[in-house]
Amino acid sequence: MSAFFRSKEIQLAILILSFLAVFIPYFLNIPSDHPLNVFSTKLILIAGITNAFTLALAVYSQFRRGLSFVRRRARGYIFKIYMMTAIILMLIFWTMGETTGPYHWVMYAIITPLSSVNYSILVFYMASTGARAFRARNAKALLLLITGFVVLLYQAPLTGAIFPAINPLGLYFGNTFAMAAGRMFLISVTVGAIVFGVRVLMGKETQVLGFGSEKE
Amino acid sequence: MGASLFGIPGIASGKSLGLLLDILIVLIVIYYIRSGKKLFIRRVSGLDAIEEAVGRAAEMGKPVVCSFGIAWNGFDYWTMAGLAIMAHVARLSAKTGTRLIVPTGGSTASMIVRPVAEEIVRTALMLEGREDEFNPNDLPFMSDQQYAYTGGYIGILQRTKPAAVIMTGSHASEAMNIAETSNAIGAITITSGSYISNVAALACASDYILIGEEAPAASAYLSDDPGLRSSIRCQDIFKWISIALLVLGLITFNAGSDFFLRLLSS
Repeated sequence: MSAFFRSKEIQLAILILSFLAVFIPYFLNIPSDHPLNVFSTKLILIAGITNAFTLALAVYSQFRRGLSFVRRRARGYIFKIYMMTAIILMLIFWTMGETTGPYHWVMYAIITPLSSVNYSILVFYMASTGARAFRARNAKALLLLITGFVVLLYQAPLTGAIFPAINPLGLYFGNTFAMAAGRMFLISVTVGAIVFGVRVLMGKETQVLGFGSEKE
Repeated sequence: MGASLFGIPGIASGKSLGLLLDILIVLIVIYYIRSGKKLFIRRVSGLDAIEEAVGRAAEMGKPVVCSFGIAWNGFDYWTMAGLAIMAHVARLSAKTGTRLIVPTGGSTASMIVRPVAEEIVRTALMLEGREDEFNPNDLPFMSDQQYAYTGGYIGILQRTKPAAVIMTGSHASEAMNIAETSNAIGAITITSGSYISNVAALACASDYILIGEEAPAASAYLSDDPGLRSSIRCQDIFKWISIALLVLGLITFNAGSDFFLRLLSS
């Protein structure tokens, strides 16, 4: 039975049916209480739950790998012990509730501030990149440098207050060149994503179904 | 606004054009896949840079670090392009006997992509008769948290001091941290900007950058698959359609007609 469900044809058939169940209600005028619409909503919910199961799979695989490290006393095994202890503790905390208690404390007092700090470090990386990049070697680089400078000044509220003339210029760059480039990007990505979907439905992207590349 | 522009009964309001364009894409892709035509795609200069970088790593006896992105949505468009480029890097590394490190993670969905990446690296080594050199620890899973992944990635760069860092797929704000660290340790940095807000900063931080659709185009160039190449042709066709709609819309709107405005409303 498992071989039947693991066959490429069956997985493709499920994929195509799932696609049609979501695609048809989106484009056609189907009432919200119509069985097809109800099925479509439930299908999206099922997909979400199935996706969440990958987390359980990841925890299992991390434990397997971690234990193998500890058994072999491989380099950095102490960190694996730390990781596994943290996972177990978080699982215990989670059973006590997500919005109160130790789980909530760890998330909001440790994880979120640490992530924020990491994000804010980005500023220093940007600064060092900027320092290297802001060298005008030719006319194009000079143009880019001036534009970048204007946009940077426009983004800083104090500069806008001191030199109000910079605001319309910054807005102009944002609403014309940047927007045009952004939309071109969006068109490419969207069309590419649709084509990718068609290839998946036609069975040309077998990696998505976990079959590996057929060519290799 | 665009309630019944084409008057097609049953089509949800404003979605007629979207449906027509979707059908057009499907037809174009089917046509190219069926015809088996090998569409011309120019060689993306970033690919030469990748070969140069792996060659440099082989000469220096240092590893190459290559990632396929954080795969927010699992197997999405960018991730597939990233995996194709990573496969190319894996083949080059296997051929030159260079150690390849692939940091994985960054999102929950990336856990689904990781086994495929592992299979790609293993296959590349197998094709060169070096399967015994495959080390799953060279594809470490950092975390499903974006910044924990970033910290782990940066740690790997600082400890292993690779000769080249190749970042493909969809990297978000963490891309700058990684690219700048790569630069600091003196590695050749090759990135692909999949987010418009990232492109400018990455262009400054990298030695070479594959901008936007250059990454999927590079993966299509490396592949002989007509379906993959058709996606690049489709993008070109749709860009021309978009330009035509924009110009026509501009002219007709100024002439007092809101036909194109209604046509493009959703």
